[in-house]
Amino acid sequence: MIAFEQVGVTYPGQSGPALRDIDVRVEEGELCLVIGPTGAGKSTLLQAACALVPHFTGGLLSGRVLVAGRDTRDHRPRDLADVVGVVGQDPLAGFVTDSAEEELAYGMEQLGLSPGVMRKRVEEVVDLLGLGDLRGRPLADLSGGEQQRVALGAVMTSQPRVLVLDEPTSALDPAAADEVLAAITRLVHDLGVTVLLAEHRLERVVQYADRVISLRGDGTAFDGPPAEVLASSLVVPPIVELGRLAGWDPLPLSVRDARRRAAPLRARLAGSIALVPTAKPGTGPRSAERAPVSAPVGPASSSPAVGATASEPPATAPLGAPALTVRGLHVRHGRVHAVRGVDLDVRAGEIVAVMGRNGAGKSSLLWALQGSGPRSGGSVRLAARGDGVRLAARGDGVRLAARGDGAHLPAGDVDPATLRPSQARRCVALVPQTPSDLLYLDSVHAECEAGDAQGQATTGATRSLLARIAGAVPAGAHPRDLSEGQRLALVLAVQLAAGPPVLLLDEPTRGLDYAAKRRLTQVLAERAAAGVAVVLSSHDVEFVAGCASRVIVLADGDVVADGSTRDVLVASPVFAPQVAKVLHPLELLTVDAVRAALAGDAMAAATR
Amino acid sequence: MVAVAPAVGSRSGEPTPGRDSTRRRPTGRDRSVHPLAWWAWALGLAVAVTRTTNPLVIGMLLAATVLVVVVRRDDSPWARAFGAYLVLGVAIIAVRVAFYILVGIKAGGPVLLDLPSIAMPGWATGVELLGPVHLTGLLAAVYGGLRLAALIVCFGAANALANPKRALRCLPASLHHIGTAIVIAVTVTPQLVSSVVRVRRAQRLRGQDDRGLRSVLACALPVLADALDRSLALAASMDSRGYARSQSGRSDARITAALLVSLVAAALGTYGLLDGTSPDWLGLPLLAAGAVIAVGGSVLAGRRVRRTRYRPDPWGLPESLIAACGLAVALLLAGALGMSPDGLDPSLSPLTWPSVPPVALVATLLAAAPAVLRATDPGAVRSGGSR
Amino acid sequence: MPVTLRTALVLALASAVGVLAFCWPLLIDPNQALAQGTDAPLVLAVVLLSVLSVVFVALSDGGIDVKAIAMLGLLSAVGAVLRPLSAGTAGVETVFLVIVLGGRVFGPGFGFALGSTTLFASALLTGGVGPWLPFQMLGASWVGLGAGLLPGRLRGRGEVAALAGYAAVAGLAYGVALNMSWWPFQLGGDTALSFVAGDPPVENLRRFWLFSIATSLGWDVGRAITTALGVVVVGRPVLAILRRGATRAVFMTAAAAADTGKRPRTGS
Repeated sequence: MIAFEQVGVTYPGQSGPALRDIDVRVEEGELCLVIGPTGAGKSTLLQAACALVPHFTGGLLSGRVLVAGRDTRDHRPRDLADVVGVVGQDPLAGFVTDSAEEELAYGMEQLGLSPGVMRKRVEEVVDLLGLGDLRGRPLADLSGGEQQRVALGAVMTSQPRVLVLDEPTSALDPAAADEVLAAITRLVHDLGVTVLLAEHRLERVVQYADRVISLRGDGTAFDGPPAEVLASSLVVPPIVELGRLAGWDPLPLSVRDARRRAAPLRARLAGSIALVPTAKPGTGPRSAERAPVSAPVGPASSSPAVGATASEPPATAPLGAPALTVRGLHVRHGRVHAVRGVDLDVRAGEIVAVMGRNGAGKSSLLWALQGSGPRSGGSVRLAARGDGVRLAARGDGVRLAARGDGAHLPAGDVDPATLRPSQARRCVALVPQTPSDLLYLDSVHAECEAGDAQGQATTGATRSLLARIAGAVPAGAHPRDLSEGQRLALVLAVQLAAGPPVLLLDEPTRGLDYAAKRRLTQVLAERAAAGVAVVLSSHDVEFVAGCASRVIVLADGDVVADGSTRDVLVASPVFAPQVAKVLHPLELLTVDAVRAALAGDAMAAATR
Repeated sequence: MVAVAPAVGSRSGEPTPGRDSTRRRPTGRDRSVHPLAWWAWALGLAVAVTRTTNPLVIGMLLAATVLVVVVRRDDSPWARAFGAYLVLGVAIIAVRVAFYILVGIKAGGPVLLDLPSIAMPGWATGVELLGPVHLTGLLAAVYGGLRLAALIVCFGAANALANPKRALRCLPASLHHIGTAIVIAVTVTPQLVSSVVRVRRAQRLRGQDDRGLRSVLACALPVLADALDRSLALAASMDSRGYARSQSGRSDARITAALLVSLVAAALGTYGLLDGTSPDWLGLPLLAAGAVIAVGGSVLAGRRVRRTRYRPDPWGLPESLIAACGLAVALLLAGALGMSPDGLDPSLSPLTWPSVPPVALVATLLAAAPAVLRATDPGAVRSGGSR
Repeated sequence: MPVTLRTALVLALASAVGVLAFCWPLLIDPNQALAQGTDAPLVLAVVLLSVLSVVFVALSDGGIDVKAIAMLGLLSAVGAVLRPLSAGTAGVETVFLVIVLGGRVFGPGFGFALGSTTLFASALLTGGVGPWLPFQMLGASWVGLGAGLLPGRLRGRGEVAALAGYAAVAGLAYGVALNMSWWPFQLGGDTALSFVAGDPPVENLRRFWLFSIATSLGWDVGRAITTALGVVVVGRPVLAILRRGATRAVFMTAAAAADTGKRPRTGS
């Protein structure tokens, strides 16, 4: 259905080709997954399949791409509109009209179909994708998942035989992502549509794929059945990582597959875990929590009451005094009661993840903690800044006082809502959902300098923070040309330059690939180790499992669960990470934890 | 904004799907009237208002306009702008009166208020400030202001009643491209407003509490950059969905010729309209001829745009009646002016009370008729729809 | 939107009609029917609307690049967002910033289109459609056209200075021209500052000048100055962002693609 024949793509002004020597055939009715690290050319490959490369983006296409027998060199994207449907990452950016029904009909209007045919097809697609309740509503009012389903429907009305989907779920929460993926699999199975799909979060989609194209990062690619390709791919979901670690062949792609093969591993781990003395994270003093392990638990025993595990997140700093104290917090937006009476204590050095559905009040909570969001009741107190930070601030206090911009903070506990923005950012930093909203200058260098000035930090502080967080980021680059991960790092650096003792992150993992998420986990662990209290909201259970020491689950503005990451996540069918599902009832959350446990086992074996 | 009305499927003897399929979805209640019908009605009233200076007639037409708007408007931003039009109308009358008192030419007539007159220095010769205020002149200013205010309010009524987004759907095919740009603008603007709010909030996180220049830039630049990135995403989406698929990229010599000729006709025609020495045919007739040629060129150009309309707004009897009301009001007053100008242009010297000619009563009734001319979906009526 | 010979001719003819329509009080013969009553601006509004339609049929005949359409829509939306803001801020006509800078970066044809679409979209959204709209659209289109016609090689401070000067002049001219076309209409016929049909243009101009001083000239001058200052302040970063958008929207030319033998294709 789609044939790439010796395809290479070179963009103008780039030294090397974005893609080269791609030779792949996607057969009719296949769901083909395109994977690879950020910048490896996933989008380029997808755009080449719908003729946007080279007609729309420019660049040089060598070789040949045939879609349903049409050569993309002779067909503009609009000439392929009746055979290829394209859906991008942000559905709202691609909408031309403002109501769902008109959007469904838009493509057909452009193709010049007769009104009768259009009416019939709109009804069919509405039924197929369950859009009945959405059809008359304004598109801007729909949730992300609903918008993405309308975008799917809007291309399906032209009855394409190929769908090209560029990370259709990367901006969605798990429920919405499942909604969209269910719609896609329905199209594949019921209609036999050929799908070319790029996706960061492989754990969601890899079990549905018939073929995987893996981009190596140097422009080349290899393809094949999913299990084969994933064995040597650069990016893999946790379950495949676990499979590689355990040496399973063929690799499992779904929790079901893995679980059926995991019994020996579980038995081995159940033995080794007991041998590894680690601490259980909590809010109390560590010494009290360090429960001595009484006796080795036998391999056959799979008691869920295993005292300690190796799954400790990397936050290892001793927990300090409470940095943030919240009592009876209420937030109302008009008639919506977003947060209902939340009590929360966050200690210095703790990483707290706030989870919950879209609309559960996570963002409202974070903005209220920061102080600039609305708050209709309750109190938020920030502890006085830690000593080290205060000294640093005092160091340039003279300069600040001379400037007369009120940089001196009130002593003792403060309510962030009473602070001016320039004061507040020195007490608490928030990274919003769209980090790029904070960036407005035309180079990384300029943003860093502005960050120093606004954060009242020493010159170069932001720059060196950025280097610590993200490695080398070209100083002259435009912030909007950076990858998602680099942009997040820049915003983090800008926000951290003022040395705030509390850091809030709203959905920091959107659009990040595995490498970037790992990096973020390390950065947050470092900050926590330095005594910063971190509160983040996330939908990404795998990320939370690896990063947070404590999880709070919000539902309709209420706290419904609050406890250590392991206690909350393992118990939940929705929030359990893949590794926990496979190894249940062992309380292991991440592949790293499994690896550590196995290493401990090996060590124990060596010493035995 | 109502999902498919259950009444549609359940009633007996529903119209054949083929006939109904091109219609807007029946909602089981009043469907909104075609926007162009409201424009036709309002333009008719606007023309009628400019035919007369009789304040009673204008006042009656104005009352009819306001009545229709109050009865028929819905709760949309453009409908709420109507109040601003009324305020503007009052302001226009006030400005007229102020200018008359300040620099008016004080001709004869009964003096209301004897203000001292101040002569202006040399560079403004011929202008005297203040001076006696005559009733005649004051009334003339009020009448003129009222007429202009009524005209403005007529346009306000059209703006309040006609949904602009649906009016855009009525653009001819030859203006498809530029119409698409405007549709995009109208669709995106509310989203840009919310992104301004979002960015402002985010910038405060950086510690931007200075309200000066930097905060303006810090807010404007991310929004603008977002808008540009978004325009590329939108263009890619439109391109891959078949936008402008049939366009050849070449222009047609016949279309070019027609458009150029019509523009020449427009230029000469406008000149003829203004200049008294040129022959009569160089005015309106030439403009009309130019318009015909332009329409021809536009139709030709429109044929090259292959595109269909999903559920075009229906034009039914109510629309025809509403448009006819406007037209009839305009014709009635224009005709009455031709036959007996006195009723519509009350004399100010000698000063007489304006009277209401019978034709004005009829015109007012016609102008107010759309208040009750409801467009209901035929199916909904038969099934005993909600009203 | 490249300016071809045809586009240039169309724009020149349309501008000729526009000049007649804006300056009608100076040109009209007292014996003509339009000289009486309040018909002239209405009739001329219809003429201008038709002329603008013809111009846009001509501009889009043969197809406009889809990126230009999307860019036009988005920049019009930015202008429509800014326009209501300017009412409250000491007469800064912020919408001119977008039109001038957009016309400068994307060229005269785009600038012309941008002026009209911005004001039209804004009028639709705020319920401001009326006989004044065609005058405003044409005026704003000229502003965009002129910005596109400024010498192309200027960059840096010189460019910002030139644009600021241009914005001041254009803003003032826009205000005065609109005032002129609506002067007889606004004031009526019975004051010393009123328009008198058939008077020598110099006399009418003198009265118009006095009328302007009495009404909106101060405001127009203030607006011209603030618009120029606006260009000075935001000019450099906004131009940079627009240019970045422009370079991302255009791509490799055929000449650069000619290096390879594999029958490469570039976009149109």
